[in-house]
Amino acid sequence: MEIGEDKKTQIDIDEQGELEEAVTEGLAEYVDVVYLEPAKTSFYRTPGGVIALKLEDKTYPRVNLHRAFPFSLGDKYISVREGSGQEIGIITDLDDFDEKARGILKEELERRYFTPEILCINSVKSEFGYSYWEVETDRGHRRFTVKGRGDSVIPIDEVRYLIMDMDGNRFEISDIRKLDRKSKKYLEGMI
Amino acid sequence: MSRVKEVFPYPFLGLLAMLPLFFIVVIKFGIMGYAGIPLDAGTILIASILIGVGVDYSIHFLGRVISEMKTGCNIHEASLIATRAAGYAIIINAVTLIFLNNYSRYTRMGEKKKINKDFCADDETFSLCVLLFKVGKKAMVILGGSTLSIKEDLPKQIIEALGDKGIDPQVIEFSMASDLTLNGEFGETWLLATKEKIYIVREESDNFVIEEVLFTDIERIRPENMIGSAMIVIGKGEDDRILVCYTSALARKFSIAVKVLEKLRKGEEVNEEDLLDKDFERNCPKCGTLYPNLNRKVCPKCLDRRSIFRRVLSFVPRYRSQIILILLCMLASSAMKLLGPFLSGRILFDEVLTEGGKYEGQVGKIVLIIFGSQLLSLLISIAYGRINAVMTAHVIFDLKSQVFGAMQRLSLSFFTNKETGWMMTRVNSDSNQLQRFFNNGFPYFIVNIVNLIGIAFILFSMDWFLTLLILLPAPLVIYIVRKIYPRLWSIFSRQFRRNSALNSLINDSLAGVRVVKAFGKEDIEVARFEKRNDDLFDISMEAGHMSSTIFPLVSFLMGLGALIIWAVGGWQVINETMTFGTLITFVGYMGLFYGPIEFMTHIVDWWSSCMNAAQRIFEILDSEPDVIEAPDAVSMSSLNGEVEIKDMTFGYEKTKPVLYDINLHVKPGEMIGLVGHSGAGKSTMINLIARLYDVDSGSISIDGVDVRKISMKDLRSQIGIVLQETYLFNGSIAENIAYARPDCKRDDIIRAAKVANAHDFIMKLPDGYDTVIGRRGMNLSGGERQRLAIARAILHDPKILILDEATASVDTETERQIQEALERLVKGRTTFAIAHRLSTLRNADRLFVLEKGKNVELGTHEELLKAKGTYFNLIKIQREGMKIKGIEG
Ligand SMILES: Nc1ncnc2c1ncn2[C@@H]1O[C@H](COP(=O)(O)OP(=O)(O)O)[C@@H](O)[C@H]1O
Ligand SMILES: [Mg+2]
Repeated sequence: MEIGEDKKTQIDIDEQGELEEAVTEGLAEYVDVVYLEPAKTSFYRTPGGVIALKLEDKTYPRVNLHRAFPFSLGDKYISVREGSGQEIGIITDLDDFDEKARGILKEELERRYFTPEILCINSVKSEFGYSYWEVETDRGHRRFTVKGRGDSVIPIDEVRYLIMDMDGNRFEISDIRKLDRKSKKYLEGMI
Repeated sequence: MSRVKEVFPYPFLGLLAMLPLFFIVVIKFGIMGYAGIPLDAGTILIASILIGVGVDYSIHFLGRVISEMKTGCNIHEASLIATRAAGYAIIINAVTLIFLNNYSRYTRMGEKKKINKDFCADDETFSLCVLLFKVGKKAMVILGGSTLSIKEDLPKQIIEALGDKGIDPQVIEFSMASDLTLNGEFGETWLLATKEKIYIVREESDNFVIEEVLFTDIERIRPENMIGSAMIVIGKGEDDRILVCYTSALARKFSIAVKVLEKLRKGEEVNEEDLLDKDFERNCPKCGTLYPNLNRKVCPKCLDRRSIFRRVLSFVPRYRSQIILILLCMLASSAMKLLGPFLSGRILFDEVLTEGGKYEGQVGKIVLIIFGSQLLSLLISIAYGRINAVMTAHVIFDLKSQVFGAMQRLSLSFFTNKETGWMMTRVNSDSNQLQRFFNNGFPYFIVNIVNLIGIAFILFSMDWFLTLLILLPAPLVIYIVRKIYPRLWSIFSRQFRRNSALNSLINDSLAGVRVVKAFGKEDIEVARFEKRNDDLFDISMEAGHMSSTIFPLVSFLMGLGALIIWAVGGWQVINETMTFGTLITFVGYMGLFYGPIEFMTHIVDWWSSCMNAAQRIFEILDSEPDVIEAPDAVSMSSLNGEVEIKDMTFGYEKTKPVLYDINLHVKPGEMIGLVGHSGAGKSTMINLIARLYDVDSGSISIDGVDVRKISMKDLRSQIGIVLQETYLFNGSIAENIAYARPDCKRDDIIRAAKVANAHDFIMKLPDGYDTVIGRRGMNLSGGERQRLAIARAILHDPKILILDEATASVDTETERQIQEALERLVKGRTTFAIAHRLSTLRNADRLFVLEKGKNVELGTHEELLKAKGTYFNLIKIQREGMKIKGIEG
């Protein structure tokens, strides 16, 4: 249930991950992980609003972006896939790209992983085991209904929380310490 | 929407502001009524303003709610508010109106001084209010329902904007509002369609931008789910275009949009009825509250707790005598309790120890009486405990066996459905809760009420003034119990959760100790443990701090009552207006008084959680399995095994088919290999043949009879399934093999085990066929379990055999043995086999290739190889895979 472990082991795992890269290099001839190099790729938005990719001399009219580690490394290891689901390659780090491409990719990721951030909780009312939330998010005022208590407010790490409402919408609290006292109190009542 | 909000930011505050005005009118009317002065122009004016404002408010409430529903912000809450708001608004209007009417009627009749009294007591008025309230609710439900329309009402500005563009709003066949803009902000975007075009209308700096797409420029329309939101994408050739984005809250609504647009694109007639499925109903039809759980349409508000209660009580006659006994015991012991302070206070001090008392000096006698009453109360509580224990056992037994029986009856989908599956895990705690209801709650409730009334009566009759004084801290106590205790409970439950998280961690790392040690990661496990231990420590500290503050505080407050008695009562005793005995009695009763009060403050929560538990249990007891036996089911005790699948379509969720238009005719005794990538729908197909689910359309028939018409018992007895993951029950190997025929001969069991190549390994076990699986670390390997399952199937002797990845997780030698066993098993049976390794299917007569839920190829191994299609590619991939591993395929 708990997605994130504590920070300490998280770092541990990250370090291992880097180690493994070296270890698995010898396997490259069997499975090839294609890394998309910024120099050879160009992402652009089509008139239809989707992302297209030109990779060397090949053009993909529609690509989708999937985060490999949506919680721990949101902007690293992004799998770029064709409309049919076939993986084209992996972007190691968005920061390697120039500003324009990065802008497009970030925008697309944000659309795909639609997770408004909760800035302030105005009220949480619990009734019959369901709670009705009223919050201010970075994208505006929002009300939603959350089922149960505890199960729908998921801790990602010490200070980050993900809230899933009844319809499957997601909301994020990136740092509980930054909330005002009232919001914190509401949140604490729910976890 | 925002405009409405600006004007009326806080609807209830607005209503509150109206109240003084309302009272002015009421008071004025009252005074004038008394004086018999006829209505003056000013009063009528105020009254009509009041009505006007009331009406206005109701309209604005509705406006606000409707606009919220349109943008789909949160239909749940909107409808909730709407229901209440409309009700309140209508009531206020109604009350004012009725008041006016009544007033003028009375003044006209020249009646005086009766107005206020009659107004309150007027039945007609009251019932009218209730009626209007109901009408208001109903109206909101209808309004709520109307949002589920493929033609949502366009805002005026958009109609104007359309007009400016020369588009006639009349030709619009479809309109729906989303709650996101294309760049992912909250905001309204409208999707409209005529017979020829799709329009997208969005607001851009106070202007409406209208884009259009011709249906002839569209080849496909499909919804694409993202994470937390979704979009509709249209496409032509290689180009995709995003039409509209929406949050998951509107996913259902827009899945209908896609259907409508698809129909319009094909030039088909759009029939609203067909499109709006019942599932779409999100609100309770009675009160408009949103169902908290769409798969379980139970409205928590309308949940008829009384009828559930009645049903719970229907269990009572079975235990009537016990309950009556328990009740009697409790009443008797509470009578003893009530008697206590009276005896030791009033009687002992005033009558025995005081000069001139009735029983002056008879200390021995009175102490004996007190002793007797205590002895009696001891006997009573022993009796109570014993009866209670007997009853607990009975109730638990009855409830659990009923629920378990019902669970076995239900179809598979009930268990795989997340929502109902969750209910199953609650069954145990729910039945415990219900049992507590019978044992403690219900009798306690009655006894506490009796106690409360009894104590209050005694106290008041002794000294009403002092009684009122000791009630002073009561509101405070009630406040604390209601407001602060819940916070405390929440901390306690967090503590409990963290404690179980810690326990599960311990379990986890013990169960995985081989992995932990093998990887040398003991440190990580210790660190994880410490982290959770820390968490638990923190919350335990908090719980400790809080409870060590609150509980003493409450007892201090309760003590205040006693203090008041000592102070006031003491003073009265000194002034000789009260006897010392009375004072002692008072103090005694004080101690008994707050217990029931505390209980009563919990009663509502306790009651509703009890009834919810009962509701869940009844739901399981009442659930109708989806797959039910037809009333005219035919008995088919022997089958030939001819299977015919015709135009079958099926999805676990109605909106997402997993299998499309499947056709297949299987001759008796034929073996069909089902081939396809994982997730293609192979297992699903098998589930349908075994009728674990029912098809959505098309049919499956066996020997020419639709499976839905075959009696369930006969069908299941003729179909045998061997799955990849073999489930063995706790029991001996012999019992497991003979599961289908518990009364078969031992020879049969051995023969079946021999055919399944299981006999030899069983004989190597010290306990042979009597080996109990699961006991004393007795664990079988995957291959061994598999062979037991085959033996089970052999003994079952089905006409139709289903093998789902039966050899997936075993080594080559074991596979050979299993393969051999299977070859013996399939002889003379119609067989459907799914195998991971395609080579295992070489005995199949025909291969049925599935790709993404569609049948793409059907034929023998040779035919399909020649066709060089999907099967050919699968074989090729597997051969290559084998080569890498250095194995020849
Ligand atoms: N109980 C279920 N509820 C909902 N979806 C299911 C269920 N079982 C399987 N599915 C889905 O149906 C599809 C086909 O699954 P399945 O028939 O098990 O595939 P296969 O056996 O060919 O690997 C998959 O997409 C899977 O996710
Ligand atoms: Mg399967």
